[in-house]
Amino acid sequence: MAKEFICIVCPRGCHVSVDDLGKITGNQCKRGETYVINEMTNPKRVLTTTVKTIFPEVPRASVKTKEAIPKGLIYQAMALINQVVIEKEMHIGEVIIPNILNTGVDVVLTKEIRRKEER
Amino acid sequence: MIVDVIVIGGGASGLAAAISVKKRNKQVLLIERENELGGILNQCIHNGFGLEVFKEEYTGPEYAYKFIEEFNDLKIDYLLNTTVIKLVKNGDEFVVTISSTAQGLKEIKAKAVIISSGCYERTRGQIAMPGERPRGVITAGSAQRYLNINGYMVGKKAFILGSGDIGLIMARRMHLEGAEVLGVAEIMPYSNGLNRNIVQCLNDFDIPLYLSHTVTNVESDDSKRLKAITIQQVDERFNPISGTEKRFEVDTLLLSIGLIPDITLLDDLSVEVDQKTKSSKINQAYETSVPGLFICGNSLQVHDLVDNVSKESSRAGNCTADFLENKFKPRKKINIIPGKNILYVAPQYLDFGWDFTDLIISFRSSKKLEKAIAKVYQGDNLVYQKRRTFVVPAEMETISFPYQELNDSQDIRVELEEL
Amino acid sequence: MYDYIIIGAGVVGSAIARELSLYQAKTLVLEKENDVANVQSLANSAIVHSGHNPEPNSLKARLSVWGNKLYEEMEKELDIPLLRTGAYVVAHNAEEERQLEELTELARINQVPEFKILSFEEALKDEPNLSKTVTKVLSLPTTKVTYPWEVAFAAMENALINGVEFIKNALVTGIKKEFDYFVVTVNNHIEYQCRYLINSAGVASDDIAGLIEKNVPFHITGRKGEYFVIDKRAKGFVNHILYPLPTELGKGVLITPQYHGEILLGPNSELVEDKYLPTTSFAGLAYVKEHAAMLADNIPFNQIIRSFAGIRSTADYDDFYIKESLEVKGLFHLGGIDSPGLTACFAIAKYLVNEVMNVDNIYQLNPDFNPYRKKRVMFHKLSDVEKQVLIKEEPMYGNIICKCEKITEKEILEAMRGPLGSNTIKGIKKRTRAGAGLCQGGYCEEKIVKMISKEFNLSPMDIAYDKENTKLFTQETKVLKK
Repeated sequence: MAKEFICIVCPRGCHVSVDDLGKITGNQCKRGETYVINEMTNPKRVLTTTVKTIFPEVPRASVKTKEAIPKGLIYQAMALINQVVIEKEMHIGEVIIPNILNTGVDVVLTKEIRRKEER
Repeated sequence: MIVDVIVIGGGASGLAAAISVKKRNKQVLLIERENELGGILNQCIHNGFGLEVFKEEYTGPEYAYKFIEEFNDLKIDYLLNTTVIKLVKNGDEFVVTISSTAQGLKEIKAKAVIISSGCYERTRGQIAMPGERPRGVITAGSAQRYLNINGYMVGKKAFILGSGDIGLIMARRMHLEGAEVLGVAEIMPYSNGLNRNIVQCLNDFDIPLYLSHTVTNVESDDSKRLKAITIQQVDERFNPISGTEKRFEVDTLLLSIGLIPDITLLDDLSVEVDQKTKSSKINQAYETSVPGLFICGNSLQVHDLVDNVSKESSRAGNCTADFLENKFKPRKKINIIPGKNILYVAPQYLDFGWDFTDLIISFRSSKKLEKAIAKVYQGDNLVYQKRRTFVVPAEMETISFPYQELNDSQDIRVELEEL
Repeated sequence: MYDYIIIGAGVVGSAIARELSLYQAKTLVLEKENDVANVQSLANSAIVHSGHNPEPNSLKARLSVWGNKLYEEMEKELDIPLLRTGAYVVAHNAEEERQLEELTELARINQVPEFKILSFEEALKDEPNLSKTVTKVLSLPTTKVTYPWEVAFAAMENALINGVEFIKNALVTGIKKEFDYFVVTVNNHIEYQCRYLINSAGVASDDIAGLIEKNVPFHITGRKGEYFVIDKRAKGFVNHILYPLPTELGKGVLITPQYHGEILLGPNSELVEDKYLPTTSFAGLAYVKEHAAMLADNIPFNQIIRSFAGIRSTADYDDFYIKESLEVKGLFHLGGIDSPGLTACFAIAKYLVNEVMNVDNIYQLNPDFNPYRKKRVMFHKLSDVEKQVLIKEEPMYGNIICKCEKITEKEILEAMRGPLGSNTIKGIKKRTRAGAGLCQGGYCEEKIVKMISKEFNLSPMDIAYDKENTKLFTQETKVLKK
């Protein structure tokens, strides 16, 4: 029986099907094929969330896993990220947690952490 | 003193517009009411931004930062914590009244104005939801700001009305932050959010989506805090079907029921408004019916992809520069009309006074079409067509074609033909 | 020991508190809600009626004509907002024109000033959107619109500076009479004593009476009214209050321009089982739309920003019930104060104090009584020059917090301070209108949270929307659980 997927690689959201012989159709780009294969073997997601900071002007800063991590590790990753507190000004892209849960993927800041100046 | 262009709003749209005007060596002043640039992107911490513009996937704050860096490199003037409270036109000059703690009340004059003030969320009041009015019914975007910027959770047990993208994304965010999300109800028979968000925000976490359902009762406890909601299936005419009631005990109902362009600033100018987009009508140069007044981004039409906002606003900025360079000689204009299966089009006018190579038209379909052809007619004459697959109202479509062939005596009609 | 305890701080309780502060008497007001004007006074049409339709010689007739006149005084003394709209009662056909004549006769008997009959064409001159089905109009120039929350704030603030005490979140749970004084129990454990007790508990007035009387002389049923609010951007769509002809259900669905520019459609009128439960319904709101459309053409329904319901406390007694208890001496009831209660509130207070309780026989006048209240700055209503002057003195007037209603930081700070200052989102909305506009607080609420947090040194986790349990947030994220 054919399997249906909605590709989430980009916002286009292609409807991709895989037939019994493993033939993949419906994807508009190569990444769709990779997505479907991963989805059948080891589904992965990019996790985006926030971390606490000590700055009252920026109480939370946004972070992400630099690459997708296995879907099954998302809750464990959240628990680790929730323990981080940023105590200094930092730049976008700086690593908050290296190699989270031995996935080889870093958790990085997606926001500049600067005290705000009045303008 | 008079500046060339004032850009109102420093989100995705205003940044891109200001950058493109500045690159044409015009003097720009951008006005932002928040204490930082970036607008709503700052609270959209999820990824999925930038694939079209940067060919790479970014989160909202990262995407904003790319533009803010360029904006700063170009040394564009801007004011933060400043609200524009009035916009009028005296002769050829715009008078923009700003208000802030630092500047007080002040008038600034400009030769042209770009409105990039974004949109606001439809609220409970606008859909006349039945029941009580307890605390706990809150728009998804407001809850998103509280959660992602401030770190405040608005509830522990939530239900979401409306399958707009913000609602779907908030379902996942609240779930990951420890809240229980009991479901999402959508009055239409299809989702209003992107497919990928249904997959990675709902399906991934087993959050049910109730299509053709709406909230038909809201109950509060003695202290007027939300206690429970009831959803019901609706028929084709959106009337609730009795016997289909499902009651959920929740402390929060998030509303993701639509975004409306914020054009309240245009109240004192008599711009022509399109009842479909709920924003100003424009010509292909993003110019409103008031010469020199341009509009783009979500204050023109609500976009589903920020990349399209940036591209559109960048074009609007260029057109504003053209206007300042007097490249525009007012000439005859024709209507661009939404035809079969089309909800709206923008621009609504094609003005032959502007010298362009391509005509770019954005539109949304009025229903879900698996396979369709977008067709553009002038009279009976088919001037452009292109195949499209999976056309849904939730996703804005854009077509682009040369228009030298078009004549200035007949209106243009855009249609979607179902295959 | 207090001389007077007033139960209930709606417009009526607040007006009574102010009237009693004219005397050298010690008065306490108890309110179960977290603010004044939070039930019946919260949700109504905001109209100061001319007194054209109550039964002649009734208290309602007398007190509404009188109350209407008193608003002119209160505007000067208490800075109460008034919008002098006038009203049109419309007839659509010969039968309705006959009823309109009957109503005109009532207006004459009730001594309503300046009323007159207009032809459709005459009325159309001032109301271009008047429904083309209208044939004749009764014009009532003294009908006007106020801002009910401000009425209660003004009266109560003035009462407070003249020595009255006010306690909110104080639910009266017991009343006893000991010899010649009352013991009033609040929240089941706090007791207050007074010589005279005034029951102005509105919707709850029969329940309050039932705490001490065996045979409560009136019984309250809730009559629900549902409304739509049209955004102030439609201001000028109608300029007068438009009434249909009254029926036994009341004054009917009206179109009412509001003081701050919005337009109200409603109310319907529906008896409800639970008088404490103001809910809107599909059917009720559809009824409002349908009936409003009989008064005006081209109603901008697409600019609706809110719907709400209010409960009117209708008694099984044919008039306002303003009397001393038959069972318990010193207890005074204000029962069945439904419409025109807002119109009559200042007259009700004077009638109660002077003609029912005869306070001037008991207490001396308060020589220090100050009838004036400090004007509230409504910044957006000022001229540009006035704004400049104020901003120079106080730069916080430059910071717009609510962009829809253009409410400034300074106005919000003022709402948090003063004798009736509030630390809730709803309290600030009622005082300043921040959050009452197009986006319904979606934008400014977060900013107001920060201001409350700073002003009262409260954690955002402890900030409430209205009552104690309506905290805005359940928890902070990323806070490690113990």
